[in-house]
Amino acid sequence: MAKLNELSITEAAAKMRAGEITAVDLARACLAEIEAKNKELNIFLEVFDDVIAQAEAADTRRKAGESHDLLGIPLAIKDNILIEGRKVSAASKMLENYVATYDATVIKKLKEAGAVFIGRTNMDEFAMGGSTENSAYGATKNPVDPTRVPGGSSGGSAAAVAAHMALGSLGTDTGGSIREPAAFCGLVGFKPTYGAVSRSGLIAMGSSLDQAGPLTHTVADAELLFNVIKGKDTLDSTTIKIGQGPTLTQGSSRSDLKLKKRIGVPRDLLKEGVEPDVLAAFEKSLESLQAKGFEIVDVSLPSAPLALSVYYVIMPAEVSSNLARFDGVRYGLSLKGNNLFDDYAKSRAAGFGPEVRRRIMLGTYVLSAGYYDAYYGKALAAREMLTKEFADVLAIVDAIAVPTTPCPAIKIGEKSDPLSMYLLDIFTVTANITGNPAISIPMGTVERPARLNDSHSGGEGKQLPVGIQLTAAHGAEDILFTIGKELQ
Amino acid sequence: MGNMLSKEEVDNLATLARLELSEAEKESLQKDISNILEYVGQVSAISIDGDATPTVPANQPHNVLRDDTPREANETMAGKEAQVKEAFPKREGEYNVVRKIIQKDE
Repeated sequence: MAKLNELSITEAAAKMRAGEITAVDLARACLAEIEAKNKELNIFLEVFDDVIAQAEAADTRRKAGESHDLLGIPLAIKDNILIEGRKVSAASKMLENYVATYDATVIKKLKEAGAVFIGRTNMDEFAMGGSTENSAYGATKNPVDPTRVPGGSSGGSAAAVAAHMALGSLGTDTGGSIREPAAFCGLVGFKPTYGAVSRSGLIAMGSSLDQAGPLTHTVADAELLFNVIKGKDTLDSTTIKIGQGPTLTQGSSRSDLKLKKRIGVPRDLLKEGVEPDVLAAFEKSLESLQAKGFEIVDVSLPSAPLALSVYYVIMPAEVSSNLARFDGVRYGLSLKGNNLFDDYAKSRAAGFGPEVRRRIMLGTYVLSAGYYDAYYGKALAAREMLTKEFADVLAIVDAIAVPTTPCPAIKIGEKSDPLSMYLLDIFTVTANITGNPAISIPMGTVERPARLNDSHSGGEGKQLPVGIQLTAAHGAEDILFTIGKELQ
Repeated sequence: MGNMLSKEEVDNLATLARLELSEAEKESLQKDISNILEYVGQVSAISIDGDATPTVPANQPHNVLRDDTPREANETMAGKEAQVKEAFPKREGEYNVVRKIIQKDE
C-alpha cells in the first residue's frame, strides 16, 4: 500500500469515509515527510504549529456527521493567500512579519469544507517569476531533481505536492504560475476562467490576470478543489457563476456535456523554440487522444505570437499600480529617510527584490505619458484581438492543445537574463490575457543530463516531467476535466 | 538594438515609482528595460481600427453593481481593529504614527 501522504485526495477521502484512516494519520504522514525533506528542498516558508489540532478538529467534525470530500485533507497554501491570524509574506521582505487580518474567500470555502492547512509555501516574490528563485527566502528545489527549479511562481505549492508533503495545494496564476510549476513537477495544474474563483484575499499582482487554482496529482483532485473554491463573491465584483460541475461523489464528469470530440493544435506556434523531445512527448499525447476518438485539427491563432509582448506590457502596468500600496505607512517594512519621499523610496527599495523593482519600473514606463498609447493602449487592443481569435477557434474545437512549456525544468541559476526567463511563459500567458480556463496535465518525461554542459554522462540522465496544456472556452472547465481524465 | 533608455529616463522612472536605486542597479535596469521594451515593442506595430481602443478587458465588459442592502457600519472590520493596529510600523497607543507632511520652510 502506498504511504498515506502519497495518496491522491480522492483516495484519501474514500479511506477516511470508510473509517480506515483519520485526518490525524494523514497529517502525521505529511509532517513526517516535511521533517525529512523540507530543509533540503526549502518548500515551506512556515509549517503551521497547529496542523495536528486542525486534523483532530476535522476528525471531530466527521464523527459529528460531516462527510465533505475535503474534510481532513492536508493542503499546502501559497504564501500570497490570506489565512486569518497567520503570517503571509508573498515571499517578500516587504511583508516579512505581516499577519493576515481576514480569510481569503478561497480559504473560507476550504475551511467550511474542513481542509487542513499544512503551511505556507515558497514562491517568487509577489508571484513574479517562473522558477521560485526570486523568493526573498531562497530558492525552492524541484523534488524530481534538486539541482533544478520547481517552476514558479507557485513553485513551493507544486513541490509540496510532488514531494508528498501535502495531498494538494493552492497556487495563483497570473501568466502560468500554476501550470508551469505543475508541468515541471509532474502534476496537474489548473487555472480557472477569469472570475470563476474569487480574488478576495489574494495579494494582488495583475488584477485583470490573477486567478487562484489547484495543483494536484490527478485531474479528479483538481476538479474537486476547483468545485469547492469557485463561485460568485460579493467581495470580488469580477466573479462570475460557473455552471454546477460534477462533484467527486457523483463519479465522473457531467453526463449532459456535449463534446465536439475535436482538439485544435496551433502548429504554426510550435515550429520554433520547443525542444524536440518535448514536442515528441506532445505528439504522443495527441495520439492517445486520437485513440480515444478525438480528431486533431490544425488551427490558426494569428495574434498568438504577440501574446508574450502583450503580457509583459499589461502585467507590469498592473504590478506598478497594485504595488503602489506598499509605502511603509500602514503596514509592512518601514524605513525612515529625510522626508516623506525618502521614507517611501527607502522602504520600497529595501522591501522589494530586484525582479519586483524591475517590473515596477517597466510598468511605470509603459503607463507614463508619451508611451501609454504605444504600449499599454496597443496591448489592450491586441488583447481584444487575441480573445476573439480564441473564441472563434473554440467554437469549432473543444480545446486548444500546446506543450505547457517549451522545455523541462531548468537548472537553478541557469537563466540570469530576465528576458530569457520570460520566454518560459510563452504558451501559458495567453490564457490569462484572454481569461480562458487552462489546465496542464503530465505528458510523460524527457531525459536531460544530470549535470549542466554534460551531454554524454554515460546514460546517467534524469527523467524530467513535461506537461500538455489544454485551453477551453470561458466557463467550459468541465470540458478540460473530461478530456484531462482521458489523458491521465 | 533600438533605443537605449537614457540615464535621465531611468532616474525619472525611479522617482515616479518611489524607488531609491543604487547607481549600479540603475545601469543594469537601463539595459534590462531597454531589452524588454525592444521585445514587447512589437505590440506597437499592430493597427487599431478607428476609435476602437478598448478600455476594459474584453472578458469583463459589464459594470457590476451590488444590491443596495443595509449592513452594519465597518462590518468587514468588526473585531479586527487590534490586528490592523498590530501591523502599524510605528504605534503610539491607539494611533499609527506617521510623518508630519507639512513642514516649515527653512
